[in-house]
Amino acid sequence: MTDKYAYFIGCTTPFRVSNYDLSTRKVMDKLGIELVDMPDAGCCGLYYELINEKTYLAMAARVLSMAEDLKLDLMVLCNGCNGSLFRANKKLKENPELKGEVNEILAGIDRQFKGTIDVKHYVKVLWEDVGVDKIKEKVTKPMNLKVAAHYGCHLMKPSEEIMFDNPKDPASLDELIEATGAESIDYYDKAQCCGGYVLAADKDIVYAMTGQKLQNVKKAGADAMVTVCPFCNVMYDANQKAVESAIGQELKIPVLHYPQLLGLAMGYEPKDLGLEQNRARVDPKMFG
Amino acid sequence: MDLREEILSEIDGKTLNYCFSCGMCTGGCPSARISDSRYNPRKILHRAAIEGKLEDDIWLCTNCYTCQERCPTKTKVADLLSLMRRIYVKEKGIPDFIKPLVENLEACGFTAQIGELENKRRERMGLPEVKHNTEIKKIIEKTGGGL
Repeated sequence: MTDKYAYFIGCTTPFRVSNYDLSTRKVMDKLGIELVDMPDAGCCGLYYELINEKTYLAMAARVLSMAEDLKLDLMVLCNGCNGSLFRANKKLKENPELKGEVNEILAGIDRQFKGTIDVKHYVKVLWEDVGVDKIKEKVTKPMNLKVAAHYGCHLMKPSEEIMFDNPKDPASLDELIEATGAESIDYYDKAQCCGGYVLAADKDIVYAMTGQKLQNVKKAGADAMVTVCPFCNVMYDANQKAVESAIGQELKIPVLHYPQLLGLAMGYEPKDLGLEQNRARVDPKMFG
Repeated sequence: MDLREEILSEIDGKTLNYCFSCGMCTGGCPSARISDSRYNPRKILHRAAIEGKLEDDIWLCTNCYTCQERCPTKTKVADLLSLMRRIYVKEKGIPDFIKPLVENLEACGFTAQIGELENKRRERMGLPEVKHNTEIKKIIEKTGGGL
């Protein structure tokens, strides 16, 4: 098991949800996983998949080259970054001609993509490398909660490339939630996307989509929803008020980053995990 | 270049030929369901293949890949939608709603500017400062990805 990673936080996390970064560091520390910062790494290139493929691949390769310099696999927090960096890494490793073209672009900023590291979402690290049993050993305060898991999309899809868990019937996040003592509940349309990608193009469609999922979570009687992507989190938490207005229903669903839930179960105080920064009010008393 | 030729010139684009318009993609599509099929990937693929046309509705794809996972013929539906958006940009330029994001990337290397306020908050939380960079601007310029 690798216990040291190049740590890539992307854009949305430092801009909107630094508590996600904070809580991830806390739980990784407890699990003995060292994270090496990349403070000027910037953006993974995700949106350029829709604009210009060369720009996208060069931006992703730039970030990958930084982890290569550190001789470490890259750990990401965001499903979007996971899809973008994992797929670019695979595509460039498998296509020498394309790799050559991208390296010509990177030469202008004195960087080179070699293809020597792997990209891992931290859910993959926790579920596959650390393992649920070792996580359970670190739980000192089991959570007595009903939790609705939201996997998001680019953690597992496109599955023919990412090959992690099973998007048709996933288990990883549910098992990681249950490792904290909480019950991971089933709910209608659990696999549905947050819609965040279309937010700039059409708010009405997206808020209706986000609202539908939050209503399903509410109907299932969840105490909280758990996300593993900063963008999904912003959609359900920070935008929950706007969604409530759009659908004309009060929801008041606490939305936690998974490392916040795990951190609480490991005995950290809510403040240690930046829980007061969550936008939909979270009553710390609910954690016992 | 004709849209169809342009799509078929790419590896993922070639899978457009696999599509027989069964509609499995659209049956599972969250955007189609919410928009009452104003966004309809089956129609979009058909329109591209038969009429060689691109319209603004392609920007309503959430990139969730449900379509691609469900497709019985392994047509890369979601990747085709991304490819069509790149072709759209080549023909008509970057749509207005994406421009701020590109401006931010050129200015600081992030999709949003990480200001002093955010870094102060990070400092209070004991988190390292996030630094802007100019390398991404250089990449955008060199690859012709700018506005």
